[in-house]
Amino acid sequence: MKKVFALTLTVAMALTTLVGCGSSGSKTAGDTATKDTAAKGSKINVTFIPKVTGNAFFESANKGAQKYAEKWGFKVDYEGDASASAAAQVAVINKAVQQGTNAICLSSVDAAGVKDALKAAAAAGVTVTTWDSDVDPSVRKVMVSQGTPKQLGEMLVKMSYDSLKERGKDPNKDAIKYCWHYSNASVTDQNSWRVEGEKYIKEKYPNWKNVAPDNYYSNQDAEQAISVGESVLSAHSDIDLVICNDSTALPGQCQAAQNKGKKAKDITITGFASPNSMKQYCKDGILTRWGLWDCGVQGAMGCYMAYYIAAGNKVKVGDKINIPDIGTVEVMPNSVLNPSANVSDSSSGVVLLPERTIFTKDNMNNFDF
Amino acid sequence: MQQKLKKNYKKLKFRWEYFLVLLLIVEVVIFGTLNPRFLKPQVLFGSVNDFISICIIATFMCFVFITGGIDLQAGSIVGLTSIIIGVMWKYVGVNIYLACLIAIIIGCLCGALSGFFIGFTGVQPMVVTLGGSFLYSGLAIAVSNISKTAAYLGISGFPEHFTAFTKKRFFGVVPAQFLIFLALVVIAYIILHRTKYGRKVFLCGINQNAAGFTGINTKLIIMSTYIFSGMAASITGIIMTSYLGSSKSDFGGDLTMPIITAVVLGGTSTLGGKGGVVGSALAAIVIGIMRFGLSMNGMPNQYLDIPVGIMLVIVVAGSCISKNQKISALLHHYINIKN
Amino acid sequence: MDFMKKMTKRREFSSIIFLFALYAIVGIVNPAFLKLDNIMLCLNGATVYTICAIGMALVIFTGEIDASIGATLGLSAAVAASMIRDGSSSILALLIAICIGLVIGSINGFGVAVLKIPSIIMTIGVNGIVRGISYVYTGGAWVENVPRHFKEVSQMGMFGLSWFYIGTIVIMILIHFYVTKKRHGRYFQAVGDNEDGAIHIGIPVTATKMISFILCAVCASVASVIFVSRIGFVTPTSGNGYEMKAIAACVIGGISLSGGIGNMIGATFGALIMASISRILVFLGLSSNYDNTITGILLITIVVIDAVIQKCNIEKARRERLAAKTAAVVECELEGGNKTCNRN
Repeated sequence: MKKVFALTLTVAMALTTLVGCGSSGSKTAGDTATKDTAAKGSKINVTFIPKVTGNAFFESANKGAQKYAEKWGFKVDYEGDASASAAAQVAVINKAVQQGTNAICLSSVDAAGVKDALKAAAAAGVTVTTWDSDVDPSVRKVMVSQGTPKQLGEMLVKMSYDSLKERGKDPNKDAIKYCWHYSNASVTDQNSWRVEGEKYIKEKYPNWKNVAPDNYYSNQDAEQAISVGESVLSAHSDIDLVICNDSTALPGQCQAAQNKGKKAKDITITGFASPNSMKQYCKDGILTRWGLWDCGVQGAMGCYMAYYIAAGNKVKVGDKINIPDIGTVEVMPNSVLNPSANVSDSSSGVVLLPERTIFTKDNMNNFDF
Repeated sequence: MQQKLKKNYKKLKFRWEYFLVLLLIVEVVIFGTLNPRFLKPQVLFGSVNDFISICIIATFMCFVFITGGIDLQAGSIVGLTSIIIGVMWKYVGVNIYLACLIAIIIGCLCGALSGFFIGFTGVQPMVVTLGGSFLYSGLAIAVSNISKTAAYLGISGFPEHFTAFTKKRFFGVVPAQFLIFLALVVIAYIILHRTKYGRKVFLCGINQNAAGFTGINTKLIIMSTYIFSGMAASITGIIMTSYLGSSKSDFGGDLTMPIITAVVLGGTSTLGGKGGVVGSALAAIVIGIMRFGLSMNGMPNQYLDIPVGIMLVIVVAGSCISKNQKISALLHHYINIKN
Repeated sequence: MDFMKKMTKRREFSSIIFLFALYAIVGIVNPAFLKLDNIMLCLNGATVYTICAIGMALVIFTGEIDASIGATLGLSAAVAASMIRDGSSSILALLIAICIGLVIGSINGFGVAVLKIPSIIMTIGVNGIVRGISYVYTGGAWVENVPRHFKEVSQMGMFGLSWFYIGTIVIMILIHFYVTKKRHGRYFQAVGDNEDGAIHIGIPVTATKMISFILCAVCASVASVIFVSRIGFVTPTSGNGYEMKAIAACVIGGISLSGGIGNMIGATFGALIMASISRILVFLGLSSNYDNTITGILLITIVVIDAVIQKCNIEKARRERLAAKTAAVVECELEGGNKTCNRN
């Protein structure tokens, strides 16, 4: 009896909140309208949402975004969740919308999972742009991409080719044994780069042999990256190349090689990781080159596009936009990233990062992220 | 007559659920004052969507806790359910609602497996469910591999009518998920507090041997609590798949600790024998609103565990202190000296 | 023969056999696994898990559980790594890490032993709080570029076995002796086996539990310094899930969660098994996708088999006792009217 009482009490309380705030409901609708026009005058607010917080890549992107945003005159709020889950990201998006942000710049965990939340955001008048990991083009205006999966997959293979050549192998003729080592099978972008990389290898270097078609995963866990790395080197003692397109797997694999006493002349390791995490391994001669792109610039560009559109400017495919301190970028159609994309909506397009960077001993000290 | 009223009043005086309701009201008031947007009914009820999974599972997991056990595998069953729905619908071509039914049955089977080991072979619940959590999350990945969808693409494109029902809002404000949750709370309440089966669950928790001697089939009862827990996890999986419109094997991975926190905060003792459905449901809402309110007021997501952890420790410490005769005697003594 | 029988009765026996069988099977499938330098790598890789399992075993002996060692490890690793990176001496960093462990362990112990909060709840709460604190401390960023001389310490060793692992084994043996032979050491298992009985014979239960939690957290801190040395960088999520792995390691090694049974040697073998699983998958050529599935099946199988064997043993012992009682009674009656019965 008393428990039913408690239950009704809760429901009653909830309903009274509803009724009590019912009157303020109409006020807030007007509130939103005035907010939009006020935005042009006061500072525009862009919510910068990473896939996951506490990750070097996204933290550097945030640093870059904050630095540029200060110069450009708008505010960037870095909001995210420590777990890379779609449900958590949807909660972050909803919260940002409810707090009245003007724009969202997002790197999505799961394109399908956040689609509805972004649709609701657009309906509430929030501009949506994406960077790093795209969503369905119909729910965002502009995607600032580090490169098509094809460009990135090929970049990985090209870096491997150069490093292999450097240490005396002939990648065109020798039977190069290689494998992929990254985070896990569910991460969209890393897997798409691997798929493109494999296609490129099959086409240009059919003499290369993938000794682990099921790939090796270390789930962004540093300890696991090292133990998997060590096991790979032990189980395949004659392996020539390990491609690590994950920012935790690459330093882990290099540490494993160092533990086993191997250097760049014994084994070629390459991949994507932030320069700061790899500088020491490069100095110690474990690897000669690895790549990434300036994620600080990419994050900043994403935020700028969000601010640009939220401030009232219209953007369509083919426009050339000048981003101060960075350069002029062209808005390309969505088909650049996905050949089967719908290109009928001309206000939705892609901005490609002008270049990706390959870090070597010579240039790595120019970067600090 | 007066005596009877007095007795009833004394019984009413302190119940854990009232404390939770009070806590909830205090939270809403505080967060509402700090950020008026928090009180918008759209926002307040909409926030429920984000923690509904914890609420639903906590409501049924208290059955497990009451028998003195623990269930660490609910989070993994959520992911397994989600990927099974996706695979069944897309590759086997089953009707989506039939796929949901199959998923619920599989969730119950998962719970039954662990429940069987715990009830019939007397293994420690924590270890078996820990193993179960690894196993089912691994199975979810295996299922998505078998289906030839790369696990990273996930499955999406579900029919409109399936994804629409979790997004509907009644009276323009109350999300459908909240009503589903309320319905489940009522069902769970009836099962636990109004049926013979519910009495048996309590008795098994209080003293399993004695309950066995009175003729209760304790092994079956314990196994059934895990089946309920598994079923709640699959229902959550269905709701999550529908709400996000996407089916991925890693849904629910981070739910285990919040669920245990909610059940414990709801007044259920980990030693078994005490607890209730309403308490767990209220506690889950209290925690969810606290996290939402704090993040609406600017606290970054990664720091949210601190206040929830502090609240958990203080609340449970308070309840333990009040029960601990030595310490309350000490406090009484101290207070008397002061006077 | 007697010795063999005594050996098989010991709880950690099954885990030792299992380990050898596992390694043998993998070795048959892929002989590269049994190469000496790979075995050494496996052992070295298990160092962090082993220390965590040792600490957790002490807590489990007293019948409690500690779900916060993951966060303790993360915070201590972040603090130690940032101190070493900024130039402090390694000894100072180790001491500070141990202090952090002391504080967290005391808080856990106070809550569980003095306030009588159930340990699972207290440690889950503390886990969340400490994890949040480590986010505040690191600001969400990685701690990287730990100087090379510190990382190299983890590689130094004898016959390929790192000093860290040798040191861990030595400490494990010392603790094992303390817990099984010394009077104060045996309090741990006494408290877990029968808490009320322990109170009645005068064992300081509160102090024992408190000490077990403090030791567990200190073990986690020491493990964190070794973690920094082995891995070289600390992420904000470092240590997540280590408590579950430590519990699994203890259970596989024959330690019962209800307390009082099992010993350190089992925990060490359990930790070795847990640490080897991801390596074994690589050698078997299986996709790393099955890492979790195999861990789960392993855990469930070992625990269920162990419980079934325990039940059979208890049933057998009960039958023996019953047989002994009835046999004596039968003897009595055969003697005739004489009231004196020979009870052997």
